[in-house]
Amino acid sequence: MQTTIPSTSAVLSSLLRADFTTQWRNRKSVILVLLVPVIILISWKGLVDKLGGSFVLSNCITIGLTAIGLMGYSNSIARDRDKGVFQRLRVAPVPSWSIMASRLIVQLVMILLVTAAVFIVGHQVDKITLSPAGYLFGFLAAFVGGAVYLALGQVIVGLIKNPETVNAVTRLVYFIFIMVGMFGELGMLGHELGEVVKWSPYGAVKRILAASMQPTTWTNDSTLSLLATIGYTVVFTVLGIKWFKWNTK
Amino acid sequence: MDQSTSPSVLQVENLNVSYGSFHAVTQVSFDVKAGEIFGLLGPNGAGKTSTLSAVEGLLRPQSGTIMVAGVDARQKPLHARANVGVQLQSTSFQPELSVSEILKLYAGIHGVEMSTQRLAQILETIKLQDAGGKKFGQLSGGQQQRVSLVIALIHDPRLVLLDEPTTGLDPQSRRQLWERMEDLRDKNHGILLTTHSMEEAEAVCDRIAIIDHGKIIAIDTPQGLIEKHRNDAEVISASRKGKITLEDVFIGLTGRAIRS
Repeated sequence: MQTTIPSTSAVLSSLLRADFTTQWRNRKSVILVLLVPVIILISWKGLVDKLGGSFVLSNCITIGLTAIGLMGYSNSIARDRDKGVFQRLRVAPVPSWSIMASRLIVQLVMILLVTAAVFIVGHQVDKITLSPAGYLFGFLAAFVGGAVYLALGQVIVGLIKNPETVNAVTRLVYFIFIMVGMFGELGMLGHELGEVVKWSPYGAVKRILAASMQPTTWTNDSTLSLLATIGYTVVFTVLGIKWFKWNTK
Repeated sequence: MDQSTSPSVLQVENLNVSYGSFHAVTQVSFDVKAGEIFGLLGPNGAGKTSTLSAVEGLLRPQSGTIMVAGVDARQKPLHARANVGVQLQSTSFQPELSVSEILKLYAGIHGVEMSTQRLAQILETIKLQDAGGKKFGQLSGGQQQRVSLVIALIHDPRLVLLDEPTTGLDPQSRRQLWERMEDLRDKNHGILLTTHSMEEAEAVCDRIAIIDHGKIIAIDTPQGLIEKHRNDAEVISASRKGKITLEDVFIGLTGRAIRS
């Protein structure tokens, strides 16, 4: 007897509908993810002239990307894995990659939202205006940078099974990234730590964002940051996939 | 119905599952025929879940053959899964989704059209016509079980896997599920059931396999097992009321020691 399996597009469309509905029902956490970089952006209004518009925007977007990858993505994966949501989906004629692809697409939309929110508030409140190419490359760099944090989130859910522990660890890592990243970038942590921050996932992502928003300022250093970003993403993705288990048993 | 001539909807042959150096399942073979309820019984850690997980495609066995409705589950896992409906023991759905949204999701991933009318009809069948907008977690245990079962059957699979489906249900809900299983059997579905309830196995299963330490130690009808082992010393010593029951046979064959 001929067995037919549903098309990948039909499967993905059903998964996406469910995952976007889930995200919509969790809109409080979505608002929080948007709110933190926006508040920082508004509070840094006075620093725009001193530090430059792209520096401020790139810092705020990096903070948003960190929250999306570390807290939004990894916590939802850890919770659903613990509840057996993935196991239920995996006994259906669904390729495992499509389950993750749907989750990642939702996060890509979140990256789009955060970046757009920062650009809009930056323009309206801080009076930061970029060229059309700056906005376009800014969005592209946000996707590239966001991938680092999504991959890092994947490493965390690969290493830790308990959802409460994942929640605690991601908050801690988020806090460390923001604090060390921001203060390091501002040169408040000394030269050596500043160099470490510069080549850390935070610094590398922040710098490709800043350079993308002003394409004429793209230097060899920006290219090296882009390579570092891609390198981090590849390493974290490989480890995250290798260590990831679909269930907590 | 005489199932002996029915085609097999599940054939498991020489299945081996290991976790590192631990052999969870060793050379397990059995088949489930269309129109049959087949019980897989065993103490905790005997290899039931590993066997079931291999059939469901949740783990990759070291060796052996699993054919679902004539499809090799190891070669074509998605095609095999398209013929299987599963009710997992510890499963959940996204807590943010309503019952209707969950039904639509699972219809979609099985390639089944789900019109508003069809959705209403399904909800009415499981007596949840007013609960379509409720979240899964807001339902009672019996209601959750009915939703899980209807999702397992949403694509009219030839093989239905039920992993301890009556655990935690009240007697009414349990009886209702037994009737549902018998109804499925009458419609020529093959059912593989795992349970710790000997009463349930005796009440609904056409054949039973007892698995222990990863190996199948007996396969027969419930009555056949009782007849075959009623004079075993271990079975007689396990008997509590003089009359030999399936539970006595089970204890006699698998021992009295509590498994972790």
